[in-house]
Amino acid sequence: MCIYEDQIGKFDWRQTYVGRIKFSQFDTVSTARKLIVATEENVLAALHLKTGEVVWRHVFESASTGNIQLLHVSDKVVTVTGSNPYLVRGWDSTTGILLWEWSLTLQDDDRADFSEWWVHQGLLVHMLPVFNSHIEVTMYNLLTGQNRGSTSKLPAAWVNDGCVLSPPYYSCVSGNMGAQRLLSIDVTSSKVQLISQPLFDYLSLDVFEGTLKPLDGNSVLPAFIIDDKKIVIVKDNNFEALNIAEMSASVTIVEGLNGPMVLQAWTDDNQGFKLSAHSVSTGKEVSEIKCSDPALRIPEPELGAVLCTKTGNDHACRIVVNGADDAIHLMQQGGRVMWSREESLANVVAVEFVDLPVSETDAAIESEFDQKEGSIWAGSVRRLHSQYQQLQTLLASLQSDRDVVHSSTEDLVRDYFNLHKIIVLVTEVGKIIGIDNLSGEILWHHFEGALDTEAVAIFTRRTARHPPYDAYLSIVGKHQESGNGLIISLNPITGELVGERVLQVDGRVLQCALLHQPDEEKLHGLVLLYDDESVQVFPVSSEHLVDDMYLYVAEAESAKVQGYALKYNGRTAIAQKIWSLDLGSGGHRIAVSASRAAQRTHSPGRALSDRSVLYKYNNPNLVLFITEGPDPVHKDVVRAVAVDGASGAVVSGAVHRRARATPLAVHADNCIAYVYLSDKYRRVEIATMELYEGKERWGTPGAPFSSFSSARAPAAARQAYIVPAAARAPRAAALTVTERSLTDRHLLLALSNGAIMEIPWAFLDPRRAPAGGGQMGVGEEGVLPYLPELPLPAEAVLNYNRSLHRVRSLHTHPAGIESTSLVLATGLDMYYTRVAPSKTFDLLKEDFDYHLISIVLVALVVATYSTKYFASRKMLKMAWK
Amino acid sequence: MSLTKSNKKFKWALDFNPKSRTSASDLPSPPGYSQSTNANYTESSKETDSNLLLIKKLWDVALGPLKQVPMNLFIMYMAGNSISIFPIMMVGMLIVRPIKALFSTQSTFKMVEGTQAAGQKFVYFIGNVVNILLALYKCQSMGLLPTHSSDWLAFEEPLTRVEHIGGGISMI
Repeated sequence: MCIYEDQIGKFDWRQTYVGRIKFSQFDTVSTARKLIVATEENVLAALHLKTGEVVWRHVFESASTGNIQLLHVSDKVVTVTGSNPYLVRGWDSTTGILLWEWSLTLQDDDRADFSEWWVHQGLLVHMLPVFNSHIEVTMYNLLTGQNRGSTSKLPAAWVNDGCVLSPPYYSCVSGNMGAQRLLSIDVTSSKVQLISQPLFDYLSLDVFEGTLKPLDGNSVLPAFIIDDKKIVIVKDNNFEALNIAEMSASVTIVEGLNGPMVLQAWTDDNQGFKLSAHSVSTGKEVSEIKCSDPALRIPEPELGAVLCTKTGNDHACRIVVNGADDAIHLMQQGGRVMWSREESLANVVAVEFVDLPVSETDAAIESEFDQKEGSIWAGSVRRLHSQYQQLQTLLASLQSDRDVVHSSTEDLVRDYFNLHKIIVLVTEVGKIIGIDNLSGEILWHHFEGALDTEAVAIFTRRTARHPPYDAYLSIVGKHQESGNGLIISLNPITGELVGERVLQVDGRVLQCALLHQPDEEKLHGLVLLYDDESVQVFPVSSEHLVDDMYLYVAEAESAKVQGYALKYNGRTAIAQKIWSLDLGSGGHRIAVSASRAAQRTHSPGRALSDRSVLYKYNNPNLVLFITEGPDPVHKDVVRAVAVDGASGAVVSGAVHRRARATPLAVHADNCIAYVYLSDKYRRVEIATMELYEGKERWGTPGAPFSSFSSARAPAAARQAYIVPAAARAPRAAALTVTERSLTDRHLLLALSNGAIMEIPWAFLDPRRAPAGGGQMGVGEEGVLPYLPELPLPAEAVLNYNRSLHRVRSLHTHPAGIESTSLVLATGLDMYYTRVAPSKTFDLLKEDFDYHLISIVLVALVVATYSTKYFASRKMLKMAWK
Repeated sequence: MSLTKSNKKFKWALDFNPKSRTSASDLPSPPGYSQSTNANYTESSKETDSNLLLIKKLWDVALGPLKQVPMNLFIMYMAGNSISIFPIMMVGMLIVRPIKALFSTQSTFKMVEGTQAAGQKFVYFIGNVVNILLALYKCQSMGLLPTHSSDWLAFEEPLTRVEHIGGGISMI
């Protein structure tokens, strides 16, 4: 479990993310320039200006108490977080150390959400508009929270919910249709100064809605946009309209060399990303800031912090651009991207590990052996041809070694142990990203803004093992607007769209699955079950392969489960509802469902100490449902029900009284484990279950398993264990997976303290029982006596001192080598490593001394031949005597 | 004759004063030497013959494995049922020796062409078989014989399935 110090970072990597940027400001005061960001994920961080790496980072509470309301950077970083009560904190910008903190509670809790905050002349201004009545403005000392003067109420009956703040002005469009007026008030000034102008002074009268939009970034002048058309600056108690607005561009006003400039960024469908700047005073375009890059695709760019300095006569600007795909880019004035961060990776919703294709020469050799038909002559010709090809590639590699640097895609071939893979991640915002698992480098990304990732499934429909066919991966989700199914099919190696590409189906998808039989092109068909219980198969040609296929659909809130049998009736594939199960009696809802991991079972049973066999209940169709609900006697009850997904038979179950469920359940082989919160003892417990047929086998050895052949219920061994220290509540769980399941099984638990624990299944074995209890498993070899607390030793921490914030899920995947399982933890941080549950029994040790063994071998060979020579010489001398 | 007489009388008495000097050829036999008995003895041994002795010897050989049984039982008892290097070596010897002996039956009984050869071979065979059975019993009690289904568990084919399922929480 532990690694040596020199192995740090050898098999693992961690990437830290901050989430979608909400506020950004440059830290210009301290010597090492940084970009201070506050994000939607409630993270305050400093990013290095040159590389974009995280210098320091504070992760606040994920609930509303951690929401960042204001970021203000002067010589110190000031944040306002929470939602009534608010916390005002000051941070040191170089180190991120907390300097001061004071809290603030508003009396009016209902309207606290409408609060606006900004810093004005060293004072924290809090503004609370009361619609159609007045505005409450309070100012506080930034460091101490001392209230300078009391709350001032500005009468403003024109305030409505369409108002925007452009500090210090608060602007509204008010009045009846046709007679709308544009109103603005400086809320910080002591005397009430209302600016009021008719709206049609600024907009042509034909069409206007009068919606106001504040500027993005940190505008230096108070300004706003009307109807995405006009930029209006509030200046000297008067409105000043600018005629330079682009449709749906992100606008900010920055300080340039010759006074303020209006900076605009937008993405044109044909011309790509565009950036322009105009002087506010003259309206002239600033030529050096202009940018038009067709190669750069930033969906819906939003300007963040902008910093322009003088180099000679030109501007040298640093512009933060935030895309709708949550990527943040730092640009120079000419549009050159200095660095980008894919912040969407802080919210990963689906993960798939994809095998890489074999190299071209290997593929040629494989295809040679695949072709069985043909005469001996054809075979030998093929042999010679492939050898000629090998020779060619060898020569080519010798030539190219001198000048050509291998591109990264060329190196994407399977390695000997199949440890090198591509991880395809689907993020919440709809961005699909391919990552090299060894380096953590992003290989490709594809943004699909229409993808609603609330429920998303990802399938590898064809692996890269079938040349000449490429790998094929499909993502099934919902369309953002219509709610219909959306299928995105791509080649996971290159990220190019293939097959169905991006396809919106006509219907809401209830569930989807892969066909178990591939078609002639080795492609597994994708089966969609619509809400009207009709079935569609992609591609249509593999419709006839729908056979022995069952689908179950569970509704989380009502805990009703329906089972469908899918058939091909000669013309089309149909779904027939064959069973229905109500797990929700008494108001239960499904917390999590875990179907059995699709992996092979190594052993059909466990050998006992009396040399008989305890046969496992190996039902590959088993599904586990964890439900929770109220109970009249025991307050809350957690039920675990194991259901046969094909026949709908309830196989086994367990009930935990006075407990609440967590969405953590794992299920592999005949082993089940799930985590629940025990209300009675106020602690986290983990329950495990193993299902056995008993000492007699139900079927004949080697017979295929059918859910409909037997209605017997298996024997279940159950046990529960305490996860010590409630402060370290588990956040994610997974079981290790290996190629042939020969290796031990370990449970990986990501805890809230940032550690991933590796717990051998032997500790969780439900057959563990107190000595002398006479239960199943007592005194068995390899079954430990029962101890209620799970040991969580520090050396079982997989990620040593690389703590992970807010781990959302753990994913495991087998490597080509039996001993090893690949692990990816996603969350705010991403962490990848590999584990060897039974140690690396099939690998030489890391520190294996190749030199010593080769020296010994060479020495032995030399010694053998030299003694042979000397012996023959001696024999010759003896013969002469 | 008188000498023989006196000899008969006093077997160990030596007369140093013979009454008459007789010729050197007439010397008496050395004391303790009795011509008659010696002749008698050789006569009788020649009659029983080497054949009988051989048969006896071969019976010894044939019965050898059976005679080893009590000793083997004792060794087995002393070796215990734990699986470690010495008991394994002992059990190995127990099982290997009779098998070797069985294979070399022909050479052991090569010189025999007697009436009892078949019986001897049979007894020898039985004795070795008994020894092998004993060794197997020992192996069995040590748990070394793959007689249980648990011993063949690893060789079973992986499970195949009839139905294939998919699904999960409703995606709507």
